[in-house]
Amino acid sequence: MADLAVTLGPLSLRNPVLSASGTYGHGLEMCHFTPPERMGGLVSKTVTLRPRPGNAQPRICETRAGLLNSIGLENKGVENYVETILPDMLGADTVVFTNIGGESVEDFAEIAARLDREPAVDVLEVNLSCPNVQGGKLPFATDPSNAARAVEAVRRATSKPVFAKLSPNVSHIGEMAQAVEQAGATGITAVNTLLGLAVDWRTGKPGLGTVQGGYSGPGIKPVALRCAWECARSVSIPVIGCGGIATAEDVLEFLAAGCGAVELGTACFADPALPGRIVEDLERLLDEAGRASIRSVIGSIRDGRGSSRDSAHAQGVEAR
Amino acid sequence: MPAPPPDARSFLAEITAIEPCGADAVLLRARPERAMAPIRASRFFMLKLLDGTSPLIPRPYSIYRQRNGELEFLVKVMGQGSRALAAARKGQELRLIGPLGNGWPTLDGEGLPWVFVAGGVGSAPFPMAIEQALAGMDGRAAVDPGSISLLFGAANRELLYDLDVLRSTGVRVHAATDDGSEGWHGNVIELFEALVAKGELPEEVRLLACGPDPMLEACSELAERRGLECWLSLETVMGCGVGICNGCPVMTRPEGPLGAWPNAKCCVEGPVFRADAICL
Ligand SMILES: Cc1cc2nc3c(=O)[nH]c(=O)nc-3n(C[C@H](O)[C@H](O)[C@H](O)COP(=O)(O)OP(=O)(O)OC[C@H]3O[C@@H](n4cnc5c(N)ncnc54)[C@H](O)[C@@H]3O)c2cc1C
Ligand SMILES: Cc1cc2nc3c(=O)[nH]c(=O)nc-3n(C[C@H](O)[C@H](O)[C@H](O)COP(=O)(O)O)c2cc1C
Ligand code: FES
Repeated sequence: MADLAVTLGPLSLRNPVLSASGTYGHGLEMCHFTPPERMGGLVSKTVTLRPRPGNAQPRICETRAGLLNSIGLENKGVENYVETILPDMLGADTVVFTNIGGESVEDFAEIAARLDREPAVDVLEVNLSCPNVQGGKLPFATDPSNAARAVEAVRRATSKPVFAKLSPNVSHIGEMAQAVEQAGATGITAVNTLLGLAVDWRTGKPGLGTVQGGYSGPGIKPVALRCAWECARSVSIPVIGCGGIATAEDVLEFLAAGCGAVELGTACFADPALPGRIVEDLERLLDEAGRASIRSVIGSIRDGRGSSRDSAHAQGVEAR
Repeated sequence: MPAPPPDARSFLAEITAIEPCGADAVLLRARPERAMAPIRASRFFMLKLLDGTSPLIPRPYSIYRQRNGELEFLVKVMGQGSRALAAARKGQELRLIGPLGNGWPTLDGEGLPWVFVAGGVGSAPFPMAIEQALAGMDGRAAVDPGSISLLFGAANRELLYDLDVLRSTGVRVHAATDDGSEGWHGNVIELFEALVAKGELPEEVRLLACGPDPMLEACSELAERRGLECWLSLETVMGCGVGICNGCPVMTRPEGPLGAWPNAKCCVEGPVFRADAICL
């Protein structure tokens, strides 16, 4: 059977399939659907310093090729997370990513310092990109220097690996990627949701209580894939791809574009057991293709540029 | 952190029958790939057709009946998702996630009589409630058919789904229609008051209600005014049904039994709530 193990900088993952923040619970809630030991990693919903009750209803609205959401980072705050969720995560046989959010650089620093003491947390994923706070102004997502300041603050506050989760709502995501790399990020997650909107023209009623929100699901896959590819070719730290992934084929496309792993989001709503099923499908697809290791797929895109160590040789041969 | 029920699974089922019901609904029967234990009334499943064109996000439906290894759902056509389900054909595959949610409280025969208040397709969680109450739930005494009244309201008689079937259960069934085409001419709350005034319903009862929001608000208000125990089965938008999307908040009462957090998740903490625990 094909070897699914991958590495992301200092991290070793049994397979490249992780959950995306906000779409698979905070902790082990989904363990009946896919056991943690089948997943490459589990990513928590964004945890903030103080509790946040979230936005008004409706918070989700389906569109033709995806989903709009305006949850607004509803969570009970970091102390509650540490007390009620983390004890169970200590025994979880998977890599635990805690996704953190903040409205200021100080927030980011404080929450990172608080979690640095927690052995159950393996990695911090910094949500620079939630469109559902501060009226969608994306303070850390669109300005490379703001993003760098947040990542630097987290970097200084913790010894754990730090992944920066970027927004696709920018012109040059590669510049954002370089800014967070220089600020000391261990890796990058690309991407969060695109800004979107739905409206019923008959009544004038917007689909979401906050009018605009984050767009996710199959409709964003090509956009996310391009963003992940641009990040991967702009930096030398690992990239986790995210956005519209629903099948094992999708996973392999993100790996081909240069990602070391992926996160599954909206697709889990239609089947919470999807991560486990995708892992099985990956094994089957690679076996059928005669690939001994999934690592041979990483960065194999023929974009005229050897973007990853693993594929440099293959590219050199095939690009002729 | 509320987790989905431990018996919930994500599984496939084959559609075995789709029959029209009332003016705008269908009864959809499906056979799961594996046999299922008996399901408590007012629990629900997330349903999605695997036809590649149906909406991305599954839709929540109450379990309507469970018999001969099949699950039955009453599906009212509202929009895209329900239209796709209603247009499905025998033999098609469905993905089901469930059973989800808490279901009705123990419907016991030991206390006050029960009044079930249904509005339109809000009748869906009641056929099994009646069945289970009459059989006895959770090791408690069965309810006598005379101690259950179903007050079933709708816009017109074509929207009183399966009224004859409900009548054949032996419980007291009272219909109400907005246009007077069947039973009481008016809404179920007025019907309740009229039945109490005529002595056909005792003043002291326990209420279960499922239906449109205005009806639930009126029920909740009636329960508060008369000091009655009242349970509501709520409908919210649901993205996942298993507690992971945070798309289904129900506002909780600050001093209520659900704790200090301003929201409860309808899918995993409900869909059944005590009326005095939430704000509608
Ligand atoms: C726990 C639970 C159990 C349910 N059980 C049943 C059941 O047994 N039978 C049944 O027919 N339905 C049931 N529903 C409601 C059902 O899920 C919705 O009608 C369905 O999701 C509508 O999807 P759609 O794509 O057809 O409509 P959409 O395209 O999502 O909506 C079409 C229109 O209908 C409106 N709408 C959608 N849902 C509702 C609603 N619940 N109340 C009022 N207006 C609505 C929308 O605002 C929109 O204007 C249940 C809901 C919940 C939460
Ligand atoms: C309902 C919902 C809630 C989300 N909550 C968060 C969150 O709390 N933090 C975060 O970083 N991303 C959040 N996201 C974004 C996802 O993690 C992911 O980046 C995005 O949805 C794109 O992936 P997808 O198309 O596979 O869903 C959320 C997405 C959805 C749909
Ligand atoms: S429907 Fe997703 S959390 Fe309740």
